[in-house]
Amino acid sequence: MMREVKVCVLRIEGTNCEDETYQAFASVGALPEKVHLKQLLGQCPSDLRRELEDYDILALPGGFSAGDYVRAGAIFAARMKSGLRRELVSFVEEGRPVIGICNGFQILVELGLLPALDGTMSEEPQAALYTNDSGRFECRPTLLRQENGGGCVFTSELPEGSIVMCPSAHAEGKLMLPRGRQKRMLERLLENDQVVFRYVDPEGRYAGYPWCPNGSLHNIAGICNPSGNVLGMMPHPERALIWETHPDWTRWERRGEGDGLSIFRSAVRGVR
Amino acid sequence: MPLDHLFFKRDVPFHLLEVDLVRASDDEMRALSREMGLSLSLEEMQRIRDHFLGMGRRPTDVELESIAQAWSEHCCYKSSKVILREHILGIDNGRVLSRGDAGVMEFDEEYGYALRIESHNHPSAIEPYGGAATGIGGIVRDVLCMGAQPVALIDPLFFGPIDHRGELPPGTKTPKYLVSGVVAGIRDYGNRIGIPTVCGGLYFDESYLGNCLVNVGCVGIVRRKDLRRNAVGGVGDRLILCGGRTGRDGIHGVTFASAELSSKSEEESRGAVQLGDPITKEPLIHACLEVSSLGLINGMKDLGGGGLSCVVGEMALAGGCGAEVHLDRVPLKESGLAPWEVWVSESQERMMLAASEENVGRILDLFAMWDVEATVIGNVVPGNEVVLFWQGEKVFRVDLDFLTKGPEYCRPCRVEVRSSGERALAPTLPPLGQAVLDLLGDPNIASKEWVFRMYDHEVRGGTVVKPASGVINKAGPSDATVIRPLPDRERGLALALGVNPWFCGLDAFRGGMSAVDEACRNIIAVGGRPDSLTDCLNFGNPEKPERLGELREAVAGIGRVASFLELPIPSGNVSLYNETSRGSVLPTPVVLGLGLVEDVRRCVTTDLKRKGNLLYQVGETKEEMGGSALYRRYGGKGGTVPDVSVEVLRRSMEQMHEAMVKGSIASCHDISDGGLAIAVAEMCLGGDIGASIEIGPPVRDLFSESNSRWVVEVEPGRESEFLGSLTVPVRRLGRVGGRALSITMEGGTVRVPLKEMRKAWSGALDRLMG
Repeated sequence: MMREVKVCVLRIEGTNCEDETYQAFASVGALPEKVHLKQLLGQCPSDLRRELEDYDILALPGGFSAGDYVRAGAIFAARMKSGLRRELVSFVEEGRPVIGICNGFQILVELGLLPALDGTMSEEPQAALYTNDSGRFECRPTLLRQENGGGCVFTSELPEGSIVMCPSAHAEGKLMLPRGRQKRMLERLLENDQVVFRYVDPEGRYAGYPWCPNGSLHNIAGICNPSGNVLGMMPHPERALIWETHPDWTRWERRGEGDGLSIFRSAVRGVR
Repeated sequence: MPLDHLFFKRDVPFHLLEVDLVRASDDEMRALSREMGLSLSLEEMQRIRDHFLGMGRRPTDVELESIAQAWSEHCCYKSSKVILREHILGIDNGRVLSRGDAGVMEFDEEYGYALRIESHNHPSAIEPYGGAATGIGGIVRDVLCMGAQPVALIDPLFFGPIDHRGELPPGTKTPKYLVSGVVAGIRDYGNRIGIPTVCGGLYFDESYLGNCLVNVGCVGIVRRKDLRRNAVGGVGDRLILCGGRTGRDGIHGVTFASAELSSKSEEESRGAVQLGDPITKEPLIHACLEVSSLGLINGMKDLGGGGLSCVVGEMALAGGCGAEVHLDRVPLKESGLAPWEVWVSESQERMMLAASEENVGRILDLFAMWDVEATVIGNVVPGNEVVLFWQGEKVFRVDLDFLTKGPEYCRPCRVEVRSSGERALAPTLPPLGQAVLDLLGDPNIASKEWVFRMYDHEVRGGTVVKPASGVINKAGPSDATVIRPLPDRERGLALALGVNPWFCGLDAFRGGMSAVDEACRNIIAVGGRPDSLTDCLNFGNPEKPERLGELREAVAGIGRVASFLELPIPSGNVSLYNETSRGSVLPTPVVLGLGLVEDVRRCVTTDLKRKGNLLYQVGETKEEMGGSALYRRYGGKGGTVPDVSVEVLRRSMEQMHEAMVKGSIASCHDISDGGLAIAVAEMCLGGDIGASIEIGPPVRDLFSESNSRWVVEVEPGRESEFLGSLTVPVRRLGRVGGRALSITMEGGTVRVPLKEMRKAWSGALDRLMG
């Protein structure tokens, strides 16, 4: 019998992609559970108490956690850091997969779990996801090229160079690194094989707007930590679980599944 | 007028007034209604006076305010009920599960879908960002209180001309400002609560200059066993108020909505606009659905217009009981509110639950985990009275029959049918190619991408046919959007709007019929089967006979088609008094159609698919130019408004659906604004490929907006299968291919390059909004 893979789909108020993130893991045979952060912190009735260490995978879904009124993801990250820091660090250091999508990516960056160039979790955020160049919320299909050489647990099923469709929907998705250190940090990200997804056009070229919806550095859509078990990405693979959610699906022969599914399957198979 | 002598302060340590209606003269009665912001007529004030005279006491301010809420046009539909009852309320097809705050229809054997649309016009005209946001908030609660998970938002919006430069009616904001504010309000609220905004419309006309229309629709999905009543379960139930706190925002929202806007509305009524908080709403949705699906509650209802004053009475009455409420237990945003203010405040993000005593503890725990406040404020008691206490003092005691059975009027109507071919004045047209480009760039037709890319229309991961269809980053407009609401089944819901205010302005009956026709043909075009409708009826002042005549005719038109097609309208909303000193808005009955899609994997979109495929027009084009985009653009006057033959519509729908199910159709687009020319042009844009068509008399064939028509693309090999499905009129138009729309008619061919069409259509709104 295959091992049960338990996934903690973590949420607070304003997290709003938990249902489809739950569905993504359920579709690939894992056992997801939607867990409120207060359940991990013990601020809940005792029968609802949960422990992070009981899960194999941690997923931070998209949304507007706590309204994103300060900085996207900042409040969720602060609450996690103050109450769950030790558990988080050991979760990551044990190599268990962590994925943050959209707001989840912003939270991972705020937490210092990405890009994590100098250790598992940095004290201060080392990067930022800034307001899109358009200045607007952008909900549009985006094409991503997988550029990880094989170390990332979320892309083991997705050959390097393949192009996948995942919709983007965010106002703050432009990856930026600290001024002055940007060039060197980008080089290190590339050396460490941490760049996982980049925005491209249908021909695979690193194109500008609207193919790159936000003006992100180096067209980066998603990065992982040096060990490859923490992935953050702005586009939403959990919105492309079935072929019929592709934006142009009526134009082509039917395919068995959506492009996003393999990301979740890769992680679940990795755990097994 | 001094009215102080009519008020008596009761000797209690808080604000409580008794009002002496018996001593008030007629003029004083009118002045009281005005000064207290009650929007009640003299006759209504007299009825209240007599009721309390019978009880041998004076009404308190809490009671008067409460009755004003319950009897407002907004709450009791006093001018429209008679008309609605006659034409649309009774339509049933045996699949209606509930007609509560939202209607609920069968989705499949296990699930139902909830639907409703309503207006938030006046608040949005005063404060566009907050007005639109709280509009979304309110409609989401209507769906939520059925126990349904909201899964889609729909937003048809109507403004003055976007490029309006001249003078504005006093107290009015520029259309551009209003558009930005309303769109941002919908964006920030809808995106934050994680419900996709999948469908909408943006319409511009002079008549909306002083009074924009902001309609908001919501669709939800509910397990049929979790379907909730908006009622208490029975005596002994606890009333739990949950969600946001109560404050002074949103006082007199419904009475404000039941009067014309004036230049003073801004300063007088700003307090009537509520403040939205999506990050209270988002966990409130989770918590309410959680306690509902755990079976912990007996009933649930949202606090909307009229606030507590409406929800308590309506829930108690629907459960056949009375209620006692300790008003001073309501959590407040600020101290110092008078009892009447707490009772009628429309502060946002609040829900009322009715639950048995033994479940209260668990409910409060679950709400606490979501950091959402929940407070027991009262009990359900025998009888049919609502009694309110404040610091132990009885401040309100009213019979529910009196409170909720508001007045109903059969006001005088006058009908002016202005639709007549004889008085038509045809406009002077530019060369045809130019006319096509002009219409593509008309704000009423041009791409709405500027708007819907700012709305998260993909959250929840089930949007199968999106607002735009076609080649990525070159997509054209979709007819209906389709969502797949449940992850474990391929059954879908198609959502489509139908409204044409210009048709209605010339002929409200045909306009009403056309709205239903349009919603239905949009649903058919994606492969769905129309199943139900919900409507938002936006009209002017019903006390003017010609305005009420428009309402009656439009409703009759909607009813005519809906009843023939057996499409129930299990929910809806009437918004009257959309009028300023400069006149009324165009009669604007918005119809939201819901269709069932057996299998979303067989949906069809509008974008042309392949070179060499054949193009057909289904349906008959008539000389019906009245209200058309062409006439409006070039100054045509009058003309015949498109009619609907219900028999032909039904037959066309059935046959088109059959062809869809067989898979004979590669793409399909309904013919509406701008006529055939625009329909084919939009299909070309989405498919990024040209087409060649042949037509008869060009003005009629290209630009008439006759109903019940579609353009259909068929692969050459499936031609006979497709034609075999049809007995309604069908005509071969031409073929897909090339890089232009080529139109051949007697005397030559006009070629409109794809590139120019894209430039005209794609960038127009962007350019106008800057």
